[in-house]
Amino acid sequence: MSASPLRQVVPSPLARRDPTVKLALLTLVSLVALLVLDPVTPAVLYGLALVGVAVATRAPARTLLLAHVPFVAFAAGVLVVNALSRSGTLLAAAGPLVVTREGLALGVALAARTLLVGVLALGFVLSTDGVALMTSLHQHARLGPRVTYAVLAGYRMLEEMPREWTLLQHAHAVRAPLRRDGRPALGPRHHLGVVFGLLVVSLRKGERMAQALESRGLGLAPRTTWRPVPLTRGDAVLVVAVLAPLAAVLATSAALGLLEGPGTLTR
Amino acid sequence: MSRDGAAGGATVPAAPAGSAAAGPAPTRAWALKDLVLVVVLGVVFGFAYWALVQAWNGLALLMGPAGDLAQHLLLGGWLLVAPVAVAIVRRPFAGVVAEVLAAVVEFAFLGSPVGPLLLVAAVLQGAGSELPFALTRYRRFGWGVFAVSGLLGAALVFFWSAFRSGWYGQDLFALRLGLQVLSGLVLGGLLARVLVRAVVRTGVVENYAIGRAGGLR
Amino acid sequence: MSAARPARPEGVVVDRRPSAAAPDGGEDVVVLRDVGVRFPRRPEPALRGVTLRVAPGDEVVVLGPSGSGKSTVLQVVTGVVPHAVHADLTGEVLVAGTATARTCVVERSRHLGVLAQDPASAVCLPTVEGEVALPLENHGVPAGEIDDRVDAALAGVGAGALRHRRTAGLSGGELQRVALAAALVTGPRVLLLDEPTSMLDPAGVRSVRAAVEGAVRGDGTTAGGPAGAAAPRPAVVLVEHRLDEWAGEAGVDGLPARALVLGEDGTVVADGPTATVLRDAAARLHAAGLWLPLDVELLALTGAAGGLAAEANRALLHRCAGGTDGRDGALSRPGREPGPGPGPGPGPEPDAEPVLVARGLSVGRREDRRRPGAAVLHGLDLAVRPGEVVALLGANGVGKTTLLLTLAGLLAPLAGRVDGPRAGLVLQHAEHGFVAHTVAAEVTHGLGAQAAAAVPGLLRRHRLEHLADANPFRLSGGEKRRLSLAAMLAHRRPVLLADEPTLGLDRRDTVATTAVLRAAAAEGTAVVLSSHDLRTVAGLADRVVVLGDGRVLADGRTAAVLRDDAVLSRAGLVLPPLVAWLLAHEAEGALGPALRALDRAVP
Ligand SMILES: Nc1ncnc2c1ncn2[C@@H]1O[C@H](COP(=O)(O)OP(=O)(O)OP(=O)(O)O)[C@@H](O)[C@H]1O
Ligand SMILES: Nc1ncnc2c1ncn2[C@@H]1O[C@H](COP(=O)(O)OP(=O)(O)OP(=O)(O)O)[C@@H](O)[C@H]1O
Ligand SMILES: [Mg+2]
Ligand SMILES: [Mg+2]
Repeated sequence: MSASPLRQVVPSPLARRDPTVKLALLTLVSLVALLVLDPVTPAVLYGLALVGVAVATRAPARTLLLAHVPFVAFAAGVLVVNALSRSGTLLAAAGPLVVTREGLALGVALAARTLLVGVLALGFVLSTDGVALMTSLHQHARLGPRVTYAVLAGYRMLEEMPREWTLLQHAHAVRAPLRRDGRPALGPRHHLGVVFGLLVVSLRKGERMAQALESRGLGLAPRTTWRPVPLTRGDAVLVVAVLAPLAAVLATSAALGLLEGPGTLTR
Repeated sequence: MSRDGAAGGATVPAAPAGSAAAGPAPTRAWALKDLVLVVVLGVVFGFAYWALVQAWNGLALLMGPAGDLAQHLLLGGWLLVAPVAVAIVRRPFAGVVAEVLAAVVEFAFLGSPVGPLLLVAAVLQGAGSELPFALTRYRRFGWGVFAVSGLLGAALVFFWSAFRSGWYGQDLFALRLGLQVLSGLVLGGLLARVLVRAVVRTGVVENYAIGRAGGLR
Repeated sequence: MSAARPARPEGVVVDRRPSAAAPDGGEDVVVLRDVGVRFPRRPEPALRGVTLRVAPGDEVVVLGPSGSGKSTVLQVVTGVVPHAVHADLTGEVLVAGTATARTCVVERSRHLGVLAQDPASAVCLPTVEGEVALPLENHGVPAGEIDDRVDAALAGVGAGALRHRRTAGLSGGELQRVALAAALVTGPRVLLLDEPTSMLDPAGVRSVRAAVEGAVRGDGTTAGGPAGAAAPRPAVVLVEHRLDEWAGEAGVDGLPARALVLGEDGTVVADGPTATVLRDAAARLHAAGLWLPLDVELLALTGAAGGLAAEANRALLHRCAGGTDGRDGALSRPGREPGPGPGPGPGPEPDAEPVLVARGLSVGRREDRRRPGAAVLHGLDLAVRPGEVVALLGANGVGKTTLLLTLAGLLAPLAGRVDGPRAGLVLQHAEHGFVAHTVAAEVTHGLGAQAAAAVPGLLRRHRLEHLADANPFRLSGGEKRRLSLAAMLAHRRPVLLADEPTLGLDRRDTVATTAVLRAAAAEGTAVVLSSHDLRTVAGLADRVVVLGDGRVLADGRTAAVLRDDAVLSRAGLVLPPLVAWLLAHEAEGALGPALRALDRAVP
């Protein structure tokens, strides 16, 4: 487990935008997408979002592709299950498996939505450093200082976790019993032990960190903010650049009679 | 070691400092240590889930559509953090806060593709898991309460997931509900109690509410 | 002076100060009056009747054996006890004139700068900059000033180059410096420092000491504080084991002017001017198993002041080294006289085949492999024979831990190979290795079923019997270390690797640990350890390997290598005064036996 779970943020136009604004936009689009259940609209939105994210994060195609794997897999599962498990007009049948038109349409709609939210979330994570996010939420979303810094302490722990994991892994492996072939037996029990060790060591560390934060005056008022990050014109541009196409696609889709809402589910 | 009783408070009137100051009324603002504890739980579980998901993705690819179903069996694991936090911190909303923080870690730091709507699921899970404890006014922590906690957590979030993933109207609806609730009961309820007991035995949570109460009682 | 009074049956603490007023007329910034602390589930109180007054500008060093309550004293001042850690506190605590029974940790932080014992958890934020800026933000320092003060504080502790780093990439020593900068940056009225140098190399000790001095003298720059204003000098309360290294050339005079000594039972044994306390109570402190400055240790043994300049002391060392002349009969403590050791110790069998062989080895972290120059050490050849004790020396971050992990087969070599049987490894962080719920189960983990029979003997040998059913995570720092060593030794592996096995231990535990390691070597185990403590290494190791500049700078018999000034300065090593003297005045082979003889004098 050497890879870090945290992605490195590289400079890009999107990385310069305010995290709170990005988060708000992402939440808004996710909510809107939740209410759209026809296959075409989310698919179009996904296409636009993919291009937008690729351009705005400057992420190499390889990175985007690899990051797609988990949610493409999930989307594929959703698609197939829905196509097979809904009653409606018969499209195809093979033995006990029956594909219906309604099922397929809904499956595509849900899969496209998964892809849309997935790629936007990817754009957010690729362009947003955890520290910047918390600082911005503190400044612009009125997140209290104690919560902000408690989460930041957690963020530091997370950054150290792969290292901590390796250390525990080593410490446990040294005394692990040997298998027949002479290698240490590192089975599920070993891993459970390591995970539990990680929990215990982290809890203890967390307790001391809380003491350290308090003894540095976290919770005193009034406090100042070093390097306040103002919202800029660029952030306004981002809002427009996301909302305008979204509105346009929804409007066009509605005009063409394609747009459908959650009613489809129970039809 | 000649004067055991003397320094130990027998001769000093009961008031100064002492543990009275350390025991906040349940309504007061959260102590920083409780907040950090809940964050730590979120981070450790977030990291463990991340590691699990890494393993899971490969498996899901192999299993194809069945992966979607098999996921239900593990759902309970995602509920663990709330009952664990409630049992240790013992104050209102601990479960909800813990789930929300775990979701923040998972989505904003580790990059879960579910996006910010993970937070909605987290609030529901947390609320469901915490409700049984709240009903006992955070005083009872037996197997039964934990079991109900896992069950409710899974049930509450199920209807949200069903809406989000379009399960309504599917033939598998009842099967999904059954699997998730069972998983919640076992992994998100009973396992949580096993875990809390093991943590208590290590002594690292002595300085939290659970320590003052003398363990899982 | 009441410092060395023989017995205080009532446990009354004699206040050494004539009045509560400080010399400069200011009020005492910290007052503890008859403070007792009792932790839940502990039969004995951790502190009893502790009284302490600290005035602005006072510098106090707190001494005491492991578990005597040094950290607890600091935590009582910060308020962590009892506000964050459950405990019964009796007596009175005042910080900056306010009775603090009800003021919480945060409120007290207005006046305090705190460095806790474990640096890894004293640094809380992801970036170094943010970490040092946080206290300033919390104290409401105008945003425009923060930049400069962060810079100054980091520069003051020799960590200026770390400013733009993330904290997750730092070594233990680097973390310790950053945490210290964060404690100094607000210009606090009282600095509370708990073993600020435990993980540092000699250069690190010097810079930390200089930073603390700078903050106290207020010459500046170091600790921020409103620029130009005649801020009162901060008081310092320091817990420190490595007294000779902290004091540097100046000897006892280089220590804080005042000493507070805690006894095993958590009472104040002595409180007064450091020189007086150490002189009057030398023998008792030595017997209690504390680390003492060399002069004081010798005073305890011979009754002669003056350290290495005194004839009696030189004679003693000479005898310890195995010499015969110079016995002057003036020794005041014949009962405790350390005789010469029994020969040169076990030592390796010179013609034995090596058990552990590394050839052309390059070590580094696999995750860095793609980066050019990811190897922290390369071209390393090493052969260790049964019964041999080899010490790895080198500055912070030179790669000692990485090398040990590679020798243990836990990290793959980047180049070259390691041949040998499965090695035992004792990590620096004992807690990370614990797998069981009881001490007894811990020592048998990974052993066969027949191991259970050996448990009582094992526990007895490592002084852990009384803890057999205790949870490993609940032990004190020193006990945890003993347990992890015992658990590893139970495996009887032909090779034992130990990473800083004596870090943070008091003298008695250090002596016990080195004895255990030597006993293992005597039974034929090859021992490889890393350490920053040259005195311990000189008494323990047959051979040292000095690492620096990404390679082996020297490899040879301990005394021969330590004598080589070029190697020492290249690797940034500084000899403790005792080792330097022995090397200069005694035969090469006498270094180890002399130091071990002094170790045996610790009861
Ligand atoms: N939170 C706690 N709960 C229970 N016992 C504790 C707690 N903290 C400290 N103790 C006990 O109180 C005693 C004093 O501990 P303290 O940490 O102050 O010792 P110390 O002098 O700093 O030792 P060291 O040199 O090893 O750091 C020890 O016996 C320790 O085990
Ligand atoms: N888990 C890790 N992942 C990546 N790099 C690491 C890891 N551990 C250590 N390093 C880096 O490898 C280098 C060598 O570290 P190592 O811990 O071996 O040094 P050391 O000689 O043991 O230092 P110290 O005296 O401070 O313990 C350092 O630059 C350190 O930052
Ligand atoms: Mg201590
Ligand atoms: Mg090291």
